[in-house]
Amino acid sequence: MISVQRETHDTPETIARSLQLAGGINRFREPNYRAVWGWNRLAWIGGKFQERDPATGSLLREVVELRQEPKYPAVNRWHIEKWLPPETYGSPRAWWAQTTEAEGGRSIPALGPYPARGEYELCFTLEGPRGEFVQLTPTVAEHIARAIEWSRRHPRSAGKRALYDREQRQERSYDAYAYDILDDAVPAFHRQPFVAVA
Amino acid sequence: MPAQANANVIALQLEKVRDKVPLLYERDDILLTMIQQRGDVEKVSSRNMRLPLQVNPGGKAGSYNADGGDLGRGSGTAYDVAQVSPIFFRFAIEITKLVEYATTGRERAIENAAKREVANGMKQFRSFLDKLMQTAGNGVLGTINSIASTTFTMAVPSGAALVYVGQTVQVYDTTLTTNRGTCNVTAADPINAQTITVDAVPGGTVATDVLVHDGLSGAQPVSLFGIKYHQNTATTGTWLNLNRATYPVQLQTPRVNAGNAALTPSNVRLAINKVRKSLGINHVSKLIAYMAVEQEHAWENLGITVSQIIKEGGSGDGNDLDLLFSGRKTMSGVPIKSSVNADQTRVDFLDLSHWGRAVLKDVDFYEVNGNTVFPIYGASGGLAASYIFYFDTAFQVWDDSPRTGAFIDTLARPTGY
Repeated sequence: MISVQRETHDTPETIARSLQLAGGINRFREPNYRAVWGWNRLAWIGGKFQERDPATGSLLREVVELRQEPKYPAVNRWHIEKWLPPETYGSPRAWWAQTTEAEGGRSIPALGPYPARGEYELCFTLEGPRGEFVQLTPTVAEHIARAIEWSRRHPRSAGKRALYDREQRQERSYDAYAYDILDDAVPAFHRQPFVAVA
Repeated sequence: MPAQANANVIALQLEKVRDKVPLLYERDDILLTMIQQRGDVEKVSSRNMRLPLQVNPGGKAGSYNADGGDLGRGSGTAYDVAQVSPIFFRFAIEITKLVEYATTGRERAIENAAKREVANGMKQFRSFLDKLMQTAGNGVLGTINSIASTTFTMAVPSGAALVYVGQTVQVYDTTLTTNRGTCNVTAADPINAQTITVDAVPGGTVATDVLVHDGLSGAQPVSLFGIKYHQNTATTGTWLNLNRATYPVQLQTPRVNAGNAALTPSNVRLAINKVRKSLGINHVSKLIAYMAVEQEHAWENLGITVSQIIKEGGSGDGNDLDLLFSGRKTMSGVPIKSSVNADQTRVDFLDLSHWGRAVLKDVDFYEVNGNTVFPIYGASGGLAASYIFYFDTAFQVWDDSPRTGAFIDTLARPTGY
């Protein structure tokens, strides 16, 4: 039996073009937004890996190395990424100070080399409300890029207020839920009919 | 036949809603109730619940000489036992005689008053317990930075987020040895000034003292084992009755120190990768990123996510993104769960499949011989013009694998807080 271990897909040209039109290009003349398939998106991970028995979870061995592994947990989904400039990650000196891990007498860069040309970070994973697969289309990709760009133009205070408003809505939602539950326990007029029925 | 007392009516109303109390409590919208009562654990007695843990792997791996060489000896898996004992919590609600005067002869009105107090009381009780979930297991709700008259300015993290107005709190010294006394919170500002005003400052209270919840006593009090108890890098002290010094690696949760800087994608990747290296590259699907609203805002400020403004841009919950997709906000692919109670300088990555609640008593009305409503007595020994009822529960929270999570701490709060 053939078992597919890793399924890769390249981003369709039309979608790459739509995202470039929606989000523009960066200082390196690369698109600000791009779509990638989970298995295609690899990133550096360095350090001590513990390899475990899949059946029992017991530890089999420990290996200190630098690997390229899928960057996002959802490997069989399309992801929309946005480019972030290198200054987002601090100076190279700060990068090395924060990401270098000492394992077994060796220094390992836990996130690989400094992203001198910036890096693409996850904006959105395309999946349905129950985690089901959603196909990538130019409309979907463009919609997400435009939504993010539109929200970036809002003042930060509005973003903060929106988050607190959401929390207050959740409070009110609990209140309504609680009263519904209690009304269900003690119905109006103790289940007596509101009008006499002949 | 004696006249019907208001207490009888109130008690009757409470009995009618009694079976709804667990529903009100267990609603899956706060961290505490996202941590399930585990079906694989028997309901505990007053004795400690025991959690067997595999602390070290067994077996001896190596090459050998097949030409008559010695294959050597083997070894077995090492286990130890963590222990959990439940803590009792109560929430007291009083209804004054005024209710009776306002509702005499109108059973519907009494019904509404009882329902209102049950709903409000349960909301506050859940909130109190969820606030304890943010602590380090010692009941500390905040640290006093400075004192001006009856107002404490509280240290961030926590600030004034873990108390509520009307709550009775106790002041302990910083070593949790000396109990300076109790006071009642009369005002709290958990968003801007981080101040707590109390009715009377206990004698001897100084900056660096801490506030703990009511009901604790003695030195080094033990309360609910919250996130900071389980997600911790300490190598001294105890964890679920195990000596941390005995298992300094096994009981440490991977940590990323943000150094008082703002949240960046690299902080997040470092933390998630620590879990992936420990558990396996593809084993982070159960993680949630638990954080304060302030850190969710910091993540939004990076401009790489669909912000709350956009999600509210459509008609209510049904905007385009929610209709097309899950609409779930993630942090590098890990779903975000935010809370107003969480530490404002920290992001915790939690695998809740390793967390559980050991429950000795489910939440319910406190009952004595079938009575759930009790009269209050005045200082003279005569009746006071109030009735009281309680919610109570007994449980403790455990995490059987501290290494399966990670956390980022000492994060800066975004400006404007």
